[in-house]
Amino acid sequence: MIRRVLVANRGEIACRILRACREAGLSSVAIYAENDRTGMFRELADESVLLEGDSITETYLNGAAIIQVAKDTGADAIHPGFGFLSERAGFAQAVMDAGLIWIGPSPQAIEQMGDKMSARQIMKQAGVPVIPGVEIEEEDEERALEDIRQAAIETGYPLLLKATAGGGGKGMRVVHAQEELESSARSARREAVTAFGDGRVYVEKLLQTSKHVEIQVLADTHGRCIHLGERECSVQRRHQKVFEEAPCASMSPSLREQMGQAAVSAAKAVDYVGAGTVEFLLAEDGSFYFLEMNTRIQVEHPVTEMVTGVDLVREQLRIAAGEPMSVGKLELRGHAIEVRLYAEDPSNNFLPAIGPLAVFRPPTGPGIRLDTGVREGDDVTPHYDPMLAKLIVWAPSRAEALQRMRRALDEFVVLGTTTNIGFLRTLCDTEEVISGNTYTTMIDDVFPNGYEFNPTQKNLDVALMTAAVAETTGMHRVSVSTSSSKEGISSPFQTLNRRYP
Amino acid sequence: MQHEFRFQNEVHEVTLERTPKIWTFVNHCAHPKEDGRVRIYFEDGTKAWAHVAKVGDVWWVHHSGQIYTLERIEPGASADEQHGGLVAPMPGTVLEVLVTEGQSVEAGQTLMILEAMKMEHRVVASEDGIVTKVSFSAGDRVEQGVNLLEVESPQ
Repeated sequence: MIRRVLVANRGEIACRILRACREAGLSSVAIYAENDRTGMFRELADESVLLEGDSITETYLNGAAIIQVAKDTGADAIHPGFGFLSERAGFAQAVMDAGLIWIGPSPQAIEQMGDKMSARQIMKQAGVPVIPGVEIEEEDEERALEDIRQAAIETGYPLLLKATAGGGGKGMRVVHAQEELESSARSARREAVTAFGDGRVYVEKLLQTSKHVEIQVLADTHGRCIHLGERECSVQRRHQKVFEEAPCASMSPSLREQMGQAAVSAAKAVDYVGAGTVEFLLAEDGSFYFLEMNTRIQVEHPVTEMVTGVDLVREQLRIAAGEPMSVGKLELRGHAIEVRLYAEDPSNNFLPAIGPLAVFRPPTGPGIRLDTGVREGDDVTPHYDPMLAKLIVWAPSRAEALQRMRRALDEFVVLGTTTNIGFLRTLCDTEEVISGNTYTTMIDDVFPNGYEFNPTQKNLDVALMTAAVAETTGMHRVSVSTSSSKEGISSPFQTLNRRYP
Repeated sequence: MQHEFRFQNEVHEVTLERTPKIWTFVNHCAHPKEDGRVRIYFEDGTKAWAHVAKVGDVWWVHHSGQIYTLERIEPGASADEQHGGLVAPMPGTVLEVLVTEGQSVEAGQTLMILEAMKMEHRVVASEDGIVTKVSFSAGDRVEQGVNLLEVESPQ
């Protein structure tokens, strides 16, 4: 039984979870850092507790303090959200040791899936296809190089060299031909030693123009483990998803069943409990390969909710309380698309932006859902991830969903802080997105010289006229609040040794 | 009524005409509303909305699904430069200092690059001269109105 949930997160996902608690009739506790004092998520909790300190290790990553707050406030369960402590097996264990309910899978499952190599081994044993590749265990440079040459013959070109201990693209090299192999291998090993103190690399077949397709799974403690279909998240910039949809445009019912079964096998192999996502690469020929499993709720979970009608966060709460999941027979209905609104400058290499949200007017109307943690008047600060909101649309068909997304983006007014709204709108008009022929390196191919905003003369004239009229008549002015912090952006995902949410 | 705005590093001049109720510019008409919006009327009879807000010296305009950041150039903005001191137009961060003290510079030469509100601002010499003082270095935060550097013209 759960009565009171502590949400160990902030921003948009904290709001999402706190609202689910309210709907489920559970009381809730939020934790916050000083620089989140005015955060919207605080207002959605029944109680909120300040965690003192300037760095995230003292606040949102401070497991011991968070567990203490849970005890002090009478919470009986902790929901970690995504990022921050959500995939720390040690924290999950500590929560359970403190006699609290951990809303997530077991620490063992987190650990097994968190380590790339152990996850790969477990998947192989469970019969889940993994990307053809060879682990090079040899430590000695020259002998390792010989092993890499042998492995390259097996996988073929182009191939990918990855640091075994790695993450974040460090120690990673694309090798197109045999001539490049030796120098690439030496530099990948060098980089891996510097970054991780471990020069072991891993040789993997490079799958080009492949899609990123992931399967949502749900497992309860009553022996039921199901999949809820796929999400396609191929449109990425710098390995960060920006445009996600369900279902995948090129999916067939039989392939969905195959991938779904593979995902269920993956979850069962680690005795998974709760909501999780199994990520795959889907090659052009319809073959698919396990990438990794995210042992938590994901950023893009709403698109699955829209097409299945299942409230995933509500199910997480139910499953953690020991109840069976409430999902009946699943039927996918219509099409859902999510875009991630970031405070960033797409025409300047997606550099994060800060500033006041002087005007923040989201679109409304049929088939539109907005998940956000900000509102008009808030400041976008450099302290956390620059994601402002997730705009999700649903419509009976993919074409209509795309039309609805265009309309919604056109209506979305954010003034005072640079955002990627215009870029997302442009994306909706690209041939690849319209046809559904999206793939993971698409943005680099479509915008080889980066994104540039080139307005028509007429539109620019209207903007200039508007500014001139506003200046002359003394319209809407907003005072600028100066941000004193010089710290870098700390994304909740930087705390994970994983690629992207 | 005449205004100058900088958009994507280019300066645009806007001369507004006024009829009793409405403003016009290049065949387009605008009618400002109380709520921060402007009604736009086109020659062909079609209409549109624009949303507008000012943050610092920058006008943010939303029109037809796109956002325009238009930095207003104050009339006589070069006044500061007449006494040799160059001041920060808004709070920001020094990205780059391109000159050193004692260096001679030419009119129009970029002396320093500032970043404010995620936009780059070039601080340019208004006349030939010698840099006599550089008050900040790359990475420093500067408040609005502080003296960034001084250039003296050799008489």
